[in-house]
Amino acid sequence: MNILVLNFPGAERAALFSDERLENLRRLMDMGCFGALAASGEWNVLARQQNHTLTLMEYFQQADKLCVDTSDPLTLREKLSVGDWDYLQYTAASFPAGNWSADDYLRLDHDLGEALQELSDDTVILILGRDCFVLVSANNPISGEYAGGAAADIAPTLVQLAGFPLPSVTEGRSWVQGMELNDSSGLTADEQQILRDRLSGLGYV
Amino acid sequence: MKKVIVIGLDGFEPKIAEAMMARGELPNLQKVREQGGYSRLGTTYSAQTPVAWSTYSTGTNPGGHGIFDFLSRDPKTYLPVMALSRYEQKNAFVLPKVVNMRRGTPFWDLLSARDVPSTILRVPCAYPPDPVKGRMLSGVGVPDLRGGFGTPTFYSTRKDLHADQSEKVVAVRVENDRVATQVIGPRDPKTKSDHKFDIHIQIVRAENKIVITSQGQPDKLEVQLGKWSKWLKVKFKVGMMQSVAGIVRFNLRQIEPEFELYASPVNFETEEPLFPISHPKEYAHELAMKIGRYYTAGMAEDHDGLNLNRFDEATYLEQCRIVMRERRRMMEFELGRFERGYFYCLYDTPDRLAHMFWRFREAEHPSNRHHGYNAEYANAIEEHYRECDAVVGEAMKAVDDETLFIVLSDHGMNSFQRGLNLNTWLYENGFLALKPGVQPGESGDFFENVDWDNTKAFALGLGCIFLNLKGREANGILNAEQAEQTREGILKGLSGLVDAERGAVAVRSVSRREQVYSGPYVDEAPDLLVNFSEGYRVSWDTPLGGVPRGLFTDNHKRWGGDHVIDPALVPGVLFMNRKFRADSPSLVDLAPTILNVFGVPKNAEMEGSDLLS
Repeated sequence: MNILVLNFPGAERAALFSDERLENLRRLMDMGCFGALAASGEWNVLARQQNHTLTLMEYFQQADKLCVDTSDPLTLREKLSVGDWDYLQYTAASFPAGNWSADDYLRLDHDLGEALQELSDDTVILILGRDCFVLVSANNPISGEYAGGAAADIAPTLVQLAGFPLPSVTEGRSWVQGMELNDSSGLTADEQQILRDRLSGLGYV
Repeated sequence: MKKVIVIGLDGFEPKIAEAMMARGELPNLQKVREQGGYSRLGTTYSAQTPVAWSTYSTGTNPGGHGIFDFLSRDPKTYLPVMALSRYEQKNAFVLPKVVNMRRGTPFWDLLSARDVPSTILRVPCAYPPDPVKGRMLSGVGVPDLRGGFGTPTFYSTRKDLHADQSEKVVAVRVENDRVATQVIGPRDPKTKSDHKFDIHIQIVRAENKIVITSQGQPDKLEVQLGKWSKWLKVKFKVGMMQSVAGIVRFNLRQIEPEFELYASPVNFETEEPLFPISHPKEYAHELAMKIGRYYTAGMAEDHDGLNLNRFDEATYLEQCRIVMRERRRMMEFELGRFERGYFYCLYDTPDRLAHMFWRFREAEHPSNRHHGYNAEYANAIEEHYRECDAVVGEAMKAVDDETLFIVLSDHGMNSFQRGLNLNTWLYENGFLALKPGVQPGESGDFFENVDWDNTKAFALGLGCIFLNLKGREANGILNAEQAEQTREGILKGLSGLVDAERGAVAVRSVSRREQVYSGPYVDEAPDLLVNFSEGYRVSWDTPLGGVPRGLFTDNHKRWGGDHVIDPALVPGVLFMNRKFRADSPSLVDLAPTILNVFGVPKNAEMEGSDLLS
């Protein structure tokens, strides 16, 4: 599994989750889970070990994964189109730090739509706002609104969805700990029925 | 000249039209004929709407545009697939995109490049629509909200009803003259269940009507017994965050003793269609704002409702009239603001109506034994042709000295009394094998129980035969030499095949694909095409790959007319208000003729020539 994190620190939950024009975001919300994030901890910290803070990035680097951290939209676009990454973390710097206008949200959705075009099915997608998240992954057993999550829970949850072992002690708690992950092939529907639906009403057959 | 106005009458049959003209019953068409001329018009292999209109559009034989039949097969699975368009989804996170499988260059692209505008209403095989200069509304190929050509729903208090192919049946209960039920929407690919929209029905017995209350628009919709309702806009919540809009019409069949209600297939709504159905994108809705809501599905006529006996002929005729009226309003509105360039409007109804009423022309039609014969409908097609003639008269009001006016059909219409089980013929003659112990009749749709390791050829679609070629089909067994022997064997055996029960030749000939096609997409064509005699067609079990018992079957369905026979037997019609070369014109000639009006040269692929030169 690849992991894509799109971080928009200026986006607020109230606007992000209520604007019906944000088609791409809403589609992802329906595919996965979303919710508010309590501000405790940092989303990208997996564990604190004595004098060392283990970030998600470091964790995946240690696992020999190709990691990218960028805030440049051009780099993001290029990386996505070439596909040479396993873990990609993007912090949107081309957006205001706060007080977003309606247009900023539309631009987020547009950029998101472009990014989605380049992904493969086995990607874990995390979208972060100032105080909220959307998390999509074919194997994610949680759907709909998820309450009570904290920023610190993000890192262990991502690690588990991506199929990696958790360190013995983690900063937050993984939401999918102890849950059975979905069979990712479960997304495809019954082919023959789809076929019958498609040919339904042709008249000639 | 600066205008070309084309009125398409799908499936308009020359023999009927000629007889009517001789009797003076088509005055407007007669007028066009006198101003210019009339001829029968050569159609395509095979004579089907999507194939023929794609040839009209591109000026090439089907080998140049890649549409050979409504259906094709997926060589990886042997399953029939819809041949007109395809949905491509890059990954699970993005919406699928529709891709038009009609390729080649439609002539309006050449017009657009030379700044000649077009208004194109309901042209088949333009889904998604072509980015034309001007306006385009897609036609045949646009699905309903469930993704098919049309899935109606039937609500009934009867317990013994079962859904047939291509419909949904909903059991309802009447309590205190109220019925709570739902409109059925798209299937959810994840949960595999249907999305639904709640409706509440109040029966008003004293007035023979119901009132449907819902969150839709309008919030209260009246439906009179036996009548078609107005459109109801519905919205299906397809997730917590997303919804899909559609429009549906109802027909109240019965209030007592049983309650029965028919709901049309849910059509795309114009303001927020699931996939684009017009160019520019907003155009479909702009039109709806001017003329009211209209059928957006490619197959607007509810032939299935009649075929499945959910309503009667009179109700179908009424629905056909509604479709005609909507189309005519579209045409009139657009002709009212049409100043220069190319105008096209297709009326699909002559085809859909004739399919269902042909049986009344032939008292001995096998369908009549099952569904009854009603002499009242013996001239239903003629009556409809008069309505078409009136449409032509209306369009002629927009014709001036600088206008080339064309009326044409893509193919004709004929009788469909007997069906040939093509796969059973292949089985009996050693070309198709069933798994050990399986007999014909024990193999259903989708080539169930076919033994691919021993099958040389298989039939699907409306007269297509594919070879089980090594390297091409998933379990292909034939090398090139064996393939040619197989084709030769089928061709010899099937040409001139006699229906013993009737003592008539059922198959006139069989064509090799390279005999009738040329161009870049011939590779995608069926290897052989079966050219049926009048009165014959592939059986109902053939198109989706069934191997039933027996070679020939009577056609018992109300769908008693068809045109997928030898194309030489079902030409279309061509009327022009200018004198034209009437030496066997064919559909490929229209593109060069229309281009030449605007001084735009045809492209190298176009095979026909200007009929006016």
